[in-house]
Amino acid sequence: MPFTDILPQLLVNGLIAGAIYALAASGFSLVYYVLKFQYFSQGAIMTIGAYSFFAFFTFLKIGYVAAGILSIIISILAALTINWLVYRPLRKRKATPVILLIASIVLLIFSSSFILSLFGSSAKTIPFANKAYDFGIFTITLLQIWIIASSIILFFVLWFVLKFTRLGKAMRAIADNKDVAQIVGINPEKIYTFTFIIASVLGAVAGVLLGLEQNLYPRMGVLIIVKGFISAVVGGITSVPGSIIGGLTIGIVENIGIWFLPSGYKDVISFTILLVFLLFRPQGIFGKRLRDDS
Amino acid sequence: MILDYFVSIIIYSLIYILIVTSLNLAYGFTGLVNLGHMAFFGIGAYVSALLTIHGVPWYIAMILAGAIASILGTIMAAITVRLKGDYFQVVTLGLVFMAIAISRNWISLTRGALGLPGVPSIISNKFYYMVFVFVICAVCVFIINLIVKSKTGRIFQAIRDDETAAAILGKNTYFYKVLSILISTFFAGIAGSLFVHYINFVDPTIFDLEFFVLMLSFLIIGGVASIKGTIISVFVLESVYESLRFIQISPEIIGALRVMIFMGMLLVILIIRPKGMFGKVVI
Repeated sequence: MPFTDILPQLLVNGLIAGAIYALAASGFSLVYYVLKFQYFSQGAIMTIGAYSFFAFFTFLKIGYVAAGILSIIISILAALTINWLVYRPLRKRKATPVILLIASIVLLIFSSSFILSLFGSSAKTIPFANKAYDFGIFTITLLQIWIIASSIILFFVLWFVLKFTRLGKAMRAIADNKDVAQIVGINPEKIYTFTFIIASVLGAVAGVLLGLEQNLYPRMGVLIIVKGFISAVVGGITSVPGSIIGGLTIGIVENIGIWFLPSGYKDVISFTILLVFLLFRPQGIFGKRLRDDS
Repeated sequence: MILDYFVSIIIYSLIYILIVTSLNLAYGFTGLVNLGHMAFFGIGAYVSALLTIHGVPWYIAMILAGAIASILGTIMAAITVRLKGDYFQVVTLGLVFMAIAISRNWISLTRGALGLPGVPSIISNKFYYMVFVFVICAVCVFIINLIVKSKTGRIFQAIRDDETAAAILGKNTYFYKVLSILISTFFAGIAGSLFVHYINFVDPTIFDLEFFVLMLSFLIIGGVASIKGTIISVFVLESVYESLRFIQISPEIIGALRVMIFMGMLLVILIIRPKGMFGKVVI
């Protein structure tokens, strides 16, 4: 089959993968923007969201919507517990960003082992009555339409919250200058809590959609948050809209790339992109120029 | 039987000490948080396995394992040590995923996820192999200790404590950072070789992050920039882990339990004493 004939399908596949990367990236980027550290434990939140959805759906036999809402609540509780037990004590000790990064990776691995000890290492599937729609030049499934639709809705809500609400303004104030924001009466800990809540909603939805589209396995969060991180860097790590564009870019480039390379090399493609960006444009496509103070 | 069991614990512990000490040279002594250290350990394991399977004598394979890990490490460092902020850490973390992808997909060389079985042992008697590993690890750790105490080692530590000051004093900090990774990854490669000739098998799971974070917990709990701390923490934590085996549960759950306990301890240490038990600095 010539490349131009398959291109629309590759673009659609890329867009779907990219939508999930973008969901992962937006939560990561939001926490980086407000709290200034690499929030890899977002991958843990995604895994927890996916597995609690699986547990509610298969064991309690409740519907998709109820299971979805409950898994978002579980994810939020998990993120707030982690913040309360680990990140807040570390912040109080004025831990360096490197320590916070290591703590977030440690939490990511801890959670995958925790999930493994609860659910076992075998892959789990959530049943979903999927059907495919053939548009001639490309095919898309019902679930994939859901993935794209729900990410568009979430990104719109996120943009609205950040841009127009009091909370969004307070978050931007903390991100720009924490000390000044504190002087005008904004409580940073309260804003951090809300940041984790918003990031967890994004993460839980990403985890559930990924779990429906592929399988659930205890380490699912590790690779997906690394892709989220790459997307965030490509888009501009301090820019939430940038990270969404970055996610779509990575998804599309990976899927076009595997037309030329074996599909296992997807990860190599995205890491090469990461390296190129870090070396030549570390601020990403939309990010502000990095300060040299670190 | 029981002797074999202790011998295997000691062999693993010695190899872990070499991994952690080589990582500590970059991480603790130079301040380069190389989260991709285990990629070089895995590369050493693969190189040594492939060469000995194709009939190359083990001593050449072991040196080449160190050399190739070191060459790749130097290339990586030459590109990345200039990155600002915490980007160095994340790019090195990315290397691990690159190593996983390449080892899974370069089927003609690595046999992909099937792995390479039948890696020959250097010494088939386990007790003598333990003595052999002890000698190699002792020599390597001794050399790393000498480097740390030398003038070069003091420059590494000066860069860690204040890079700008080291640069003002006329030290080429870029060169010394790359040098630190060069040495560090060489010993990681040697450790990989010792490891693969003991378990006689290598597959892409050697790059798993679980393995790396266990090494990181030995390093940080024992103490950042403390070789003594590393040795103590490996032996103490390994004994704790091995005693878990007496609980009658499946090995898979024990593996997960080990990671959870070590990660829990590591988080507590990061919060209450980030420099670790015998550590001197906080990275």
